[in-house]
Amino acid sequence: MKNRLKVLRAERDWSQAELAERLDVSRQAVNAIETGKHDPSLPLAFRIARLFDMRIEDIFDDGDVA
Amino acid sequence: MIWNSNGELGPGEARNRQRDRKQWLYIGFAGAIGGVIGLFTGIFDQGDGSLFTGDWADLKLPPALAILLAVMLFGGFVVLPISGFRMIDDYKREQNLIGFTGGCVSVLAGFPIWAALHAGGFSPAPHAFGVFAIAFVSMTASFLYARWRL
Repeated sequence: MKNRLKVLRAERDWSQAELAERLDVSRQAVNAIETGKHDPSLPLAFRIARLFDMRIEDIFDDGDVA
Repeated sequence: MIWNSNGELGPGEARNRQRDRKQWLYIGFAGAIGGVIGLFTGIFDQGDGSLFTGDWADLKLPPALAILLAVMLFGGFVVLPISGFRMIDDYKREQNLIGFTGGCVSVLAGFPIWAALHAGGFSPAPHAFGVFAIAFVSMTASFLYARWRL
Protein backbone atom coordinates (compact mmCIF):
# COMPACT_ATOMS: atom_id res chain seq x y z
CA MET A 1 0.00 0.00 0.00
CA LYS A 2 1.35 3.40 -1.00
CA ASN A 3 1.59 6.09 1.63
CA ARG A 4 2.87 9.63 2.18
CA LEU A 5 4.53 8.91 5.50
CA LYS A 6 8.06 9.66 4.29
CA VAL A 7 6.98 12.99 2.76
CA LEU A 8 5.00 14.01 5.84
CA ARG A 9 7.92 13.09 8.06
CA ALA A 10 10.37 15.03 5.90
CA GLU A 11 8.10 18.09 5.93
CA ARG A 12 8.43 18.14 9.70
CA ASP A 13 12.14 17.37 9.58
CA TRP A 14 11.73 14.29 11.73
CA SER A 15 13.99 11.26 11.59
CA GLN A 16 12.53 7.75 11.41
CA ALA A 17 13.58 7.26 15.03
CA GLU A 18 11.78 10.42 16.08
CA LEU A 19 8.59 9.43 14.28
CA ALA A 20 8.87 5.94 15.80
CA GLU A 21 9.14 7.50 19.21
CA ARG A 22 6.05 9.63 18.66
CA LEU A 23 4.09 6.57 17.48
CA ASP A 24 5.54 4.28 20.15
CA VAL A 25 6.74 1.70 17.62
CA SER A 26 10.19 0.53 16.54
CA ARG A 27 12.22 2.47 13.97
CA GLN A 28 12.20 -0.67 11.82
CA ALA A 29 8.40 -0.53 11.76
CA VAL A 30 8.45 3.07 10.49
CA ASN A 31 10.99 2.12 7.82
CA ALA A 32 8.92 -0.89 6.75
CA ILE A 33 5.76 1.23 6.46
CA GLU A 34 7.53 3.95 4.49
CA THR A 35 8.98 1.46 2.03
CA GLY A 36 5.66 -0.35 1.63
CA LYS A 37 6.92 -3.60 3.13
CA HIS A 38 4.44 -3.49 5.97
CA ASP A 39 0.87 -2.22 6.24
CA PRO A 40 0.13 -0.78 9.67
CA SER A 41 -2.71 -2.10 11.79
CA LEU A 42 -5.85 0.01 11.97
CA PRO A 43 -5.02 1.34 15.48
CA LEU A 44 -1.55 2.36 14.30
CA ALA A 45 -3.00 3.95 11.16
CA PHE A 46 -5.29 6.03 13.40
CA ARG A 47 -2.33 7.05 15.56
CA ILE A 48 -0.44 8.13 12.45
CA ALA A 49 -3.44 10.09 11.16
CA ARG A 50 -3.91 11.84 14.50
CA LEU A 51 -0.22 12.68 14.73
CA PHE A 52 -0.30 14.42 11.35
CA ASP A 53 -3.82 15.76 11.93
CA MET A 54 -5.04 14.17 8.71
CA ARG A 55 -7.49 11.49 7.62
CA ILE A 56 -6.16 7.95 7.12
CA GLU A 57 -7.10 8.02 3.42
CA ASP A 58 -5.10 11.22 2.99
CA ILE A 59 -1.97 9.37 4.12
CA PHE A 60 -2.53 5.85 2.80
CA ASP A 61 -3.60 4.90 -0.71
CA ASP A 62 -4.71 1.35 -1.46
CA GLY A 63 -4.90 2.10 -5.20
CA ASP A 64 -8.66 1.56 -5.33
CA VAL A 65 -10.06 4.51 -7.29
CA ALA A 66 -13.70 3.44 -6.83
CA MET B 1 8.99 18.32 23.12
CA ILE B 2 9.22 14.58 22.65
CA TRP B 3 12.58 14.47 20.90
CA ASN B 4 15.36 16.02 22.91
CA SER B 5 18.69 17.15 21.60
CA ASN B 6 20.15 17.55 25.07
CA GLY B 7 20.51 13.85 25.68
CA GLU B 8 17.34 13.34 27.72
CA LEU B 9 15.12 10.51 26.57
CA GLY B 10 11.54 11.12 25.48
CA PRO B 11 8.84 8.78 26.81
CA GLY B 12 8.60 6.79 23.58
CA GLU B 13 12.35 6.36 23.24
CA ALA B 14 12.66 5.40 26.89
CA ARG B 15 9.95 2.77 26.39
CA ASN B 16 11.68 1.46 23.26
CA ARG B 17 15.04 1.22 25.02
CA GLN B 18 13.46 -0.50 28.02
CA ARG B 19 11.75 -2.91 25.63
CA ASP B 20 15.07 -3.59 23.85
CA ARG B 21 16.82 -4.19 27.18
CA LYS B 22 14.12 -6.63 28.25
CA GLN B 23 14.30 -8.45 24.93
CA TRP B 24 18.07 -8.90 25.22
CA LEU B 25 17.64 -10.00 28.83
CA TYR B 26 15.10 -12.60 27.73
CA ILE B 27 17.35 -13.80 24.90
CA GLY B 28 20.28 -14.11 27.31
CA PHE B 29 18.09 -15.92 29.84
CA ALA B 30 16.82 -18.30 27.16
CA GLY B 31 20.40 -19.00 26.08
CA ALA B 32 21.42 -19.64 29.69
CA ILE B 33 18.49 -22.03 30.13
CA GLY B 34 19.52 -23.89 26.98
CA GLY B 35 23.11 -24.12 28.20
CA VAL B 36 22.10 -25.39 31.64
CA ILE B 37 19.76 -27.97 30.12
CA GLY B 38 22.48 -29.22 27.78
CA LEU B 39 25.04 -29.30 30.58
CA PHE B 40 22.79 -31.15 33.04
CA THR B 41 21.63 -33.58 30.39
CA GLY B 42 25.21 -34.34 29.42
CA ILE B 43 26.47 -34.72 32.99
CA PHE B 44 23.58 -36.59 34.58
CA ASP B 45 22.35 -38.75 31.70
CA GLN B 46 22.35 -42.29 33.14
CA GLY B 47 21.09 -44.20 30.13
CA ASP B 48 22.31 -45.24 26.72
CA GLY B 49 19.82 -43.25 24.68
CA SER B 50 20.44 -40.30 22.44
CA LEU B 51 18.31 -37.34 21.42
CA PHE B 52 19.69 -37.44 17.92
CA THR B 53 19.20 -41.08 16.99
CA GLY B 54 15.70 -41.42 18.39
CA ASP B 55 16.27 -44.13 21.03
CA TRP B 56 14.40 -42.14 23.65
CA ALA B 57 13.43 -45.17 25.70
CA ASP B 58 17.01 -45.52 26.90
CA LEU B 59 17.34 -41.92 28.11
CA LYS B 60 17.52 -41.80 31.91
CA LEU B 61 17.73 -38.79 34.23
CA PRO B 62 17.30 -38.45 38.01
CA PRO B 63 13.57 -37.66 38.65
CA ALA B 64 14.23 -34.33 40.41
CA LEU B 65 16.47 -33.18 37.56
CA ALA B 66 13.88 -34.29 35.03
CA ILE B 67 11.23 -32.13 36.75
CA LEU B 68 13.64 -29.19 36.93
CA LEU B 69 14.41 -29.50 33.22
CA ALA B 70 10.70 -29.73 32.40
CA VAL B 71 10.05 -26.51 34.31
CA MET B 72 12.97 -24.78 32.59
CA LEU B 73 11.81 -25.97 29.18
CA PHE B 74 8.33 -24.67 29.92
CA GLY B 75 9.85 -21.32 30.82
CA GLY B 76 12.08 -21.25 27.76
CA PHE B 77 9.55 -22.41 25.18
CA VAL B 78 6.26 -21.06 26.56
CA VAL B 79 6.65 -18.26 29.13
CA LEU B 80 9.52 -16.35 27.51
CA PRO B 81 8.15 -16.39 23.93
CA ILE B 82 4.67 -15.33 25.05
CA SER B 83 6.12 -12.57 27.26
CA GLY B 84 8.28 -11.39 24.38
CA PHE B 85 5.35 -11.53 21.97
CA ARG B 86 3.42 -9.09 24.16
CA MET B 87 6.28 -6.56 24.08
CA ILE B 88 6.78 -6.19 20.34
CA ASP B 89 5.00 -3.92 17.85
CA ASP B 90 2.87 -4.91 14.85
CA TYR B 91 5.79 -5.17 12.45
CA LYS B 92 7.90 -7.46 14.62
CA ARG B 93 4.78 -9.47 15.53
CA GLU B 94 4.24 -10.07 11.80
CA GLN B 95 7.82 -11.33 11.47
CA ASN B 96 7.29 -13.67 14.41
CA LEU B 97 4.05 -14.98 12.92
CA ILE B 98 5.85 -15.70 9.63
CA GLY B 99 8.46 -17.60 11.65
CA PHE B 100 5.83 -19.64 13.50
CA THR B 101 4.02 -20.35 10.23
CA GLY B 102 7.24 -21.56 8.62
CA GLY B 103 7.87 -23.93 11.53
CA CYS B 104 4.31 -25.25 11.51
CA VAL B 105 4.14 -25.80 7.74
CA SER B 106 7.52 -27.54 7.76
CA VAL B 107 6.29 -30.06 10.34
CA LEU B 108 2.98 -30.60 8.55
CA ALA B 109 4.86 -31.35 5.33
CA GLY B 110 8.10 -32.68 6.77
CA PHE B 111 6.77 -35.55 8.84
CA PRO B 112 4.78 -37.31 6.07
CA ILE B 113 7.60 -36.71 3.59
CA TRP B 114 10.09 -38.20 6.03
CA ALA B 115 7.74 -41.16 6.66
CA ALA B 116 7.34 -41.73 2.93
CA LEU B 117 11.11 -41.62 2.40
CA HIS B 118 11.53 -44.08 5.28
CA ALA B 119 8.94 -46.40 3.76
CA GLY B 120 10.94 -46.33 0.55
CA GLY B 121 14.14 -47.18 2.38
CA PHE B 122 15.75 -43.79 1.90
CA SER B 123 15.98 -42.60 5.51
CA PRO B 124 15.77 -43.79 9.11
CA ALA B 125 12.31 -43.83 10.71
CA PRO B 126 10.89 -40.46 11.76
CA HIS B 127 11.49 -39.67 15.42
CA ALA B 128 10.35 -36.98 17.82
CA PHE B 129 13.59 -35.05 18.10
CA GLY B 130 13.96 -34.95 14.33
CA VAL B 131 10.47 -33.48 13.99
CA PHE B 132 11.27 -30.97 16.73
CA ALA B 133 14.48 -30.04 14.93
CA ILE B 134 12.60 -29.54 11.65
CA ALA B 135 10.19 -27.19 13.41
CA PHE B 136 12.91 -25.27 15.23
CA VAL B 137 15.27 -24.84 12.30
CA SER B 138 12.59 -23.95 9.78
CA MET B 139 10.98 -21.52 12.24
CA THR B 140 14.31 -19.78 12.73
CA ALA B 141 15.00 -19.72 8.98
CA SER B 142 11.52 -18.34 8.23
CA PHE B 143 11.94 -15.63 10.84
CA LEU B 144 15.32 -14.61 9.47
CA TYR B 145 13.91 -14.56 5.93
CA ALA B 146 11.06 -12.30 7.09
CA ARG B 147 13.47 -10.12 9.02
CA TRP B 148 16.02 -9.55 6.27
CA ARG B 149 14.38 -10.24 2.92
CA LEU B 150 10.69 -9.27 3.12
